[in-house]
Amino acid sequence: MALNPFFLQGSQSEQRLIQELINEQLTIYGVEIIYLPRKIVNKDSVLNEIQSSKFDDNYAIEAYVNTYEGYGGAGDIMTKFGMSLKDDLTVTISKEKFEDFISPFLGDDGDLFKKENDNDEINVAGRPREGDLIYFPLGGRLFEVKFVEHEQPFYQLGKNYVYQLKCELFEYSDELGGWDQLSTTTEEIDSVLEDQGYITSILMVGSGTDAEIIARTGTGYVRQISLIDDGYGYSSTPIVSISTSPSTSISNPFASAEAIAITTTTGTTQSIKEIILTNAGFGYTEAPTISIIGGGGTGAIATCSIETTGFGIVRYDVSKPGSGYPIPPVVSIGTPTSAGAAATSIVGSDSTITGFVLSTGGEFYGTPPNVIIDGPTSRVGVVSTLQTSNFSGDIVSLPYGSGYSNGVFPTSGGSGNGLIVELEAKSGSIVEIPTIIYGGQGYSPNDILQIVGGNNDAYIKIISTTTGIGSTATADSILTNGEVTGFTITNPGSGYIIPPTVSIENRSDTKDFTSSGLTTAIARANVSVGNTVTSVHIVNPGLGYSPAQPVSIASPPPTGIGTFIFNELVTGSISGAKARVKTWNKSDNILKVGTTNGTFVPGDVIVGSASSAQYSVDSIQSAEFADKYDKGEQIETLADTFLDFTETNPFGTY
Amino acid sequence: MLGTYYYHEIMRKTIVAFGTLFNQIHIRHDDSSGNTYSDLKVPLAYGPSQKFLARLEQQEDLNKPVQITLPRMSFEMNNIQYDSTRKTGITQTFKAVNENTSAIKKVFMPVPYNIGFELNILSKLNDDALQIVEQILPYFQPSFNVTIDLISSIGEKRDVPIVLDSISFQDDYEGDFSTRRALIYTLRFTAKTYLFGPVADSSEGLIKKVQVDYYTDTNTQTAKREVRYTATPKALTDKNNDGVIDKKDDALLGPEDDFGFNETTTFFTDSKTYSPTQQTDI
Repeated sequence: MALNPFFLQGSQSEQRLIQELINEQLTIYGVEIIYLPRKIVNKDSVLNEIQSSKFDDNYAIEAYVNTYEGYGGAGDIMTKFGMSLKDDLTVTISKEKFEDFISPFLGDDGDLFKKENDNDEINVAGRPREGDLIYFPLGGRLFEVKFVEHEQPFYQLGKNYVYQLKCELFEYSDELGGWDQLSTTTEEIDSVLEDQGYITSILMVGSGTDAEIIARTGTGYVRQISLIDDGYGYSSTPIVSISTSPSTSISNPFASAEAIAITTTTGTTQSIKEIILTNAGFGYTEAPTISIIGGGGTGAIATCSIETTGFGIVRYDVSKPGSGYPIPPVVSIGTPTSAGAAATSIVGSDSTITGFVLSTGGEFYGTPPNVIIDGPTSRVGVVSTLQTSNFSGDIVSLPYGSGYSNGVFPTSGGSGNGLIVELEAKSGSIVEIPTIIYGGQGYSPNDILQIVGGNNDAYIKIISTTTGIGSTATADSILTNGEVTGFTITNPGSGYIIPPTVSIENRSDTKDFTSSGLTTAIARANVSVGNTVTSVHIVNPGLGYSPAQPVSIASPPPTGIGTFIFNELVTGSISGAKARVKTWNKSDNILKVGTTNGTFVPGDVIVGSASSAQYSVDSIQSAEFADKYDKGEQIETLADTFLDFTETNPFGTY
Repeated sequence: MLGTYYYHEIMRKTIVAFGTLFNQIHIRHDDSSGNTYSDLKVPLAYGPSQKFLARLEQQEDLNKPVQITLPRMSFEMNNIQYDSTRKTGITQTFKAVNENTSAIKKVFMPVPYNIGFELNILSKLNDDALQIVEQILPYFQPSFNVTIDLISSIGEKRDVPIVLDSISFQDDYEGDFSTRRALIYTLRFTAKTYLFGPVADSSEGLIKKVQVDYYTDTNTQTAKREVRYTATPKALTDKNNDGVIDKKDDALLGPEDDFGFNETTTFFTDSKTYSPTQQTDI
């Protein structure tokens, strides 16, 4: 049977009219919803489920709310998993509007659905998709499309004009915050989601200033504490008492050593793990006794050794506590050099270095230290040219003088001193103009000098003078049993008027650390809850330090810079953990982040990828879902009071 | 008859001990390159709750924008059953020392009970659930022991095995599209705990001396004791801190101390016998 040819079953123009009417009705009676297409980040093809999704596009479209009397579904119900909001929503959208304004962006060109999963694409671009989200602005809620009904009403005039989206409230895990997703691009939705999901709340350090410490050195100090017996049964930290130093007095209140005990728990037994010096003391002539008192336990025994010759770092004073230290900073102490050698020089009559006087040979040298001799001072009035003359300064011709021989002769007279000349003589007379061996200093042109020697009857007249410098002497040191015992002059130099200063290098790299016992000190800084440096404990006081040993303490991590912005990616410097910013409260220094892929640790410098803000982590305040369902922490706290294993449990520590 | 008040919170402690096993489980999500971009601690709570409290805590905002955050776990106690296989003598008591007061307490032997638990895991993805379950199962072979201080007043710690009885899961993926897929794993456990009766102060005091007399005749009317064996506690530590461990320390021994024995054997020829009432030889 054919259809009646005299009746149209819907012409294009009629269909067009209905579509236009529907579109208009929707714009009049509808609600502007926001359509968020799902983009697949990772799909498990075996279990056939989308493991990671993101929603970073949005499209506004008008929709008619079918369930105009309220949400459908079971409503808010109590389940064994807490509150579950089973609200349904059915909305109707225009097929034409969707295809004209949303579909083109979901196709091959714009759909990240496909781009990120080239090998496993789901290319459904022509219609609304199950799994996509819509944001319902009246309730400020996110709904997930469960089913797209495209045939209701059923082919009016031969065509379908609308889609019905059957939706249910979204089940949220960690979507909306993948690494490459900045936001849903809609501020309204972002603000709704700020307080949803798994949120880690981190207390940050506001700003930091450098701490400063001073090392105090001394001898007769406690070199090392040995824990002979760690005791047992301690319920609190016992007090460590060290007998007083003979040097203790009102003016030396820090002469007596002090230490603290650090306890550890093995099974159910608390014992002493180590004893750390807070002050190594000084002036001890014999090893003090150590008493470990209190703490509810017994049996701990410790002894110590002392150092009465060399110097160690016996105490650290915190001169500036600084700020912004969430974790103890590193204390840098140079290697010890112990005592160095010292000597003075001797200058000979020819203005060269002729020897040294060793005042102290130093100690523990492993290789001969360099000897550094200061250069000679510059001289003015150094004779540069001269002429033969008589005693009144008149030029005389050669040969002249009597009784002279070939050789070097000093001179006298004139305004300066030190001129030495070499003569060539025949039959007692000088036959050549004297050659200047050493130009002396302080002379002026026209000075008349007598050549001392022969019959003292030959004179010279100074024609011109100049400024002279001379050359720097060099020498090597000689070692015997780690001490400098002498020197070898490798270059006597010249032009020395007064003995130059001699420096014998005293560097740690020339010292013998193997057999000497020289030891580098080790210290451990402690920080307060307020992130300041409170004290520096002595792990090893070292040996062989000079009295003014410089020490330095690391700067606090760079912190207190900039303002984090919503949903930017932040990264921890130590942990490497990454997260998305939820909120940043500058006044409380609380940063809330979501979508973390690890655990931030105190001391982490968290840097924002977009804002470049950087703050260091003081502590992790909480890490939980925002809806207060989780009671894990309370359960664990309670369990710790009666379970026979401590803080950690086997499910959390491996 | 049963009116003595006591409450050791043993079942509550067992619930807490069970729950704390599962409170640090995390799951991770990777991107397409295999890099982890999300690490979530799976929230855990005891399922039963006052309804109004749950709504106030979890739905502070009536217009909560999402249905639920997943995954999550809940656990609940669902049965209590007497375990006859662990039955002990019912009249037997044991004494313990109150660690705080050093007083002697007496309690009857506990009654063994099995407490059934159910751990439920709700997740959006099967993979999430598998991550969680795989982090739990290897620890139960088929039991995992926790040591619980069941009665702190006498320091009674007991190993309570928690046995994994069964695992089942519900994956409602079939049907029309009016409901979403629901994925719930259910793990059933039995905690083999002990219930204690009231703890009473013991008036019996400490036994500090044991004395045995030997006779050479079985006629108790005429026979006289001839050998006496006595045993008293011997201190192992210097209780009075005088530098030596001697009888003075023995006298200071308390119920909380470890001790050894002083043993004495005495021979008699005085034809006397011991009078328990007069506590002397007559």
